[in-house]
Amino acid sequence: MTKALVINNNYEKGLIDFLKNLLENGKVKGVFSLKKINKEGDVTFSLISKPEDLDDAVPFYPIMPVNAGSLMSRFTMKQPATESIIAVLKPCEIRAFVELIKREQGSLENITILSFTCGGVYTHRMVADDLITKNLSKYWDAVKSEKILDDLRPACRSCDEFIPYNSDITVDLIGNKDIDKQLTMILNTEKGGNLVKDIKGKNVEKNLNDKKLENFKDKREKEKKKLFDEIDPKIKGLDNLIDTFGKCISCHACGRVCPICYCTVCEFESPDAEYKPSNFETELNKRGALRVPPGTIYFHLGRLDHIAISCVGCGACEDVCPVDIPLSIIFKKIGESVQKMFDYVPGKNTDEELPLSTFEKEELVEYEE
Amino acid sequence: MSQPEEKNKSTVISVKKDLNTAIIDFLKEGIDKQVFDDVIIPMRVPAKDSFAYVLVRNKSILNDGFFLPPVMPVQGGRMVSSVTRLGKKDKKTAIIMRPCETRATIELAKLGQTNLDNLILISMDCPGVMPISDFLKDTNKQLKNFEDSANNLDDKIMRPVCQICDKSSMISGDLHIGTLGAKKGSFYLISNSEKGNELIEKMGLKQNENINSWKEKVKKISEEKKKKRINKNKELKKKIGGLDNLTDAFGKCINCHNCMSVCPVCFCRLCYFESDKVKQPSDDYLSRAKSKGSIRFLPDTMLFHIGRMEHMSLSCVSCGACEDVCPVDIPIAQIFTMIADETQGLFDYVSGRSLDEPIPFVAYKEEELTDMEDSND
Repeated sequence: MTKALVINNNYEKGLIDFLKNLLENGKVKGVFSLKKINKEGDVTFSLISKPEDLDDAVPFYPIMPVNAGSLMSRFTMKQPATESIIAVLKPCEIRAFVELIKREQGSLENITILSFTCGGVYTHRMVADDLITKNLSKYWDAVKSEKILDDLRPACRSCDEFIPYNSDITVDLIGNKDIDKQLTMILNTEKGGNLVKDIKGKNVEKNLNDKKLENFKDKREKEKKKLFDEIDPKIKGLDNLIDTFGKCISCHACGRVCPICYCTVCEFESPDAEYKPSNFETELNKRGALRVPPGTIYFHLGRLDHIAISCVGCGACEDVCPVDIPLSIIFKKIGESVQKMFDYVPGKNTDEELPLSTFEKEELVEYEE
Repeated sequence: MSQPEEKNKSTVISVKKDLNTAIIDFLKEGIDKQVFDDVIIPMRVPAKDSFAYVLVRNKSILNDGFFLPPVMPVQGGRMVSSVTRLGKKDKKTAIIMRPCETRATIELAKLGQTNLDNLILISMDCPGVMPISDFLKDTNKQLKNFEDSANNLDDKIMRPVCQICDKSSMISGDLHIGTLGAKKGSFYLISNSEKGNELIEKMGLKQNENINSWKEKVKKISEEKKKKRINKNKELKKKIGGLDNLTDAFGKCINCHNCMSVCPVCFCRLCYFESDKVKQPSDDYLSRAKSKGSIRFLPDTMLFHIGRMEHMSLSCVSCGACEDVCPVDIPIAQIFTMIADETQGLFDYVSGRSLDEPIPFVAYKEEELTDMEDSND
């Protein structure tokens, strides 16, 4: 059993009050959370320092404008946080942040992470169509009753890593029927425990409801299998790959929003990837014709090669694809198979090194001649 | 509106079957007569669900040419740059694009990002393109829908900026395929340069044919569109004028910078707004949050858009590529068009109109913008 604090208040209101309290008492100097930023109700990730600004915070809002792992990296890459900060992050955002830290793109110093069992997020399409507010009650009903909604990101519908790793405090949401009147915070670390010390509430010993989460995981895994099975024939062999990626417009938005793709200049946007006039001549003489700009599929295969081991399956890539290529499922399927080879779960363990930067003498022997 | 000079040649080409086949035959003849060695033309992708530019030397592959596709997956200016950025094309290439793509190509040539040597730029009268997301909903149905609309000069289903495009027949490359005002079973081939004249000559085509009916039709359409454009710009300015409204217009922006990625004239390999310059130590972010109560994170959303506007509005060709890829439907091309019309108007400049007009930022004039000077002096 783990220590937990139960506060008699609505899950969102309760959390906002808790965060306000932390700011008011100087326990933290900044809160990272999703927040409404204008009268239209547009929501973005925000850094909040004044308690009253938390009134517009929507920490559990079911959208992901940007994978906040990359934003936490931006915040800490030049200088670790010098004062105490709390960040409300989704499980895949923490995992992305941890993967970025392993790549020396950020730091956890002075940062407390608060997370929750995550029901997934709606798509940018729904944000653009102003459909989120209308669908909030449906969303929370589904979370309470462990249902999977059809209009979530495909990556979320098929996500089985909805319980956060590396969170100091985890809010119990999925399968918890009492969230409207009770906020349950599981205190996973001493850091988390220290923050809630003076907060009014009931101190209990409690774990997440394993049975309900198992049930939820079963549903998610079924959905994942379905999506993986559907994608399989679309990516087998070069011809199918060409069909699947043929409509790609080479905007590289998938790479740009990918939290793991952190390079300032992508290899595939560098002079190295550009064709010289002689390259065009060679291709023309060999094949009679070639698509321009060249390298459409090469980009995707290269990106897969670069990031598959760390893909956290957040679905940010697919959500920005202007031509609806099912990128998140492709990357997740291939990512998981690569990760399995190394028995590696990206973002799970901060001490575990990246397989690509670790040398083991006896490894992948089955691939040897 | 630039019109071909009198010294330039024009000809009429007859269409036996359909326009598409006629252009394919014309290109094959060009290769046969060694007027050019290869071509870049749009084609359907193998899965038939979209279109792509293909550089073709093999004549049999030319049969798959698909001119004026219903969508613009990659802006042609960007495509031409990818072919010539590292040096001029080894052999002669004829490229058929839409007018705004040709203009972007000219603009990129001025910016040193495209080498026009050995290229013959051919544009076509353009009915506009559909937003790619609309097209993908049902590609077969939408293709039919597009073709019907194009034939009827109906722009309702086109990109919002195509609906207000007054340069859909502007000739800025070497040649132009004019279909407007042409007699049934024919199209005009109008030259705009020495290269264009040479092609008409070498192909052995009749020269100096009368193109007045094309000119009249183009004038009528572009004047109508211009009126519409001015009104739309006014409406939009009312809606997004002032910092608060402008900030709200970008409220949903997710900082994906995809508008910039697909913009033909945003050519920088590393955008300033993705460079080390905009990455701050955590203390800076925190002190900004402390002084304002809270900040949007990333905090530079508006800076990016306004900065991009400042960097490229003089070269914006209003193609609408940016808006097509925005994941949250910000009317970004309409906003940039409104601004570009003002900044380009200030210098009497039209992006990509002519290779001979220097970009205002690089042209020094002693007497310029005097009305902006301090009136107290």
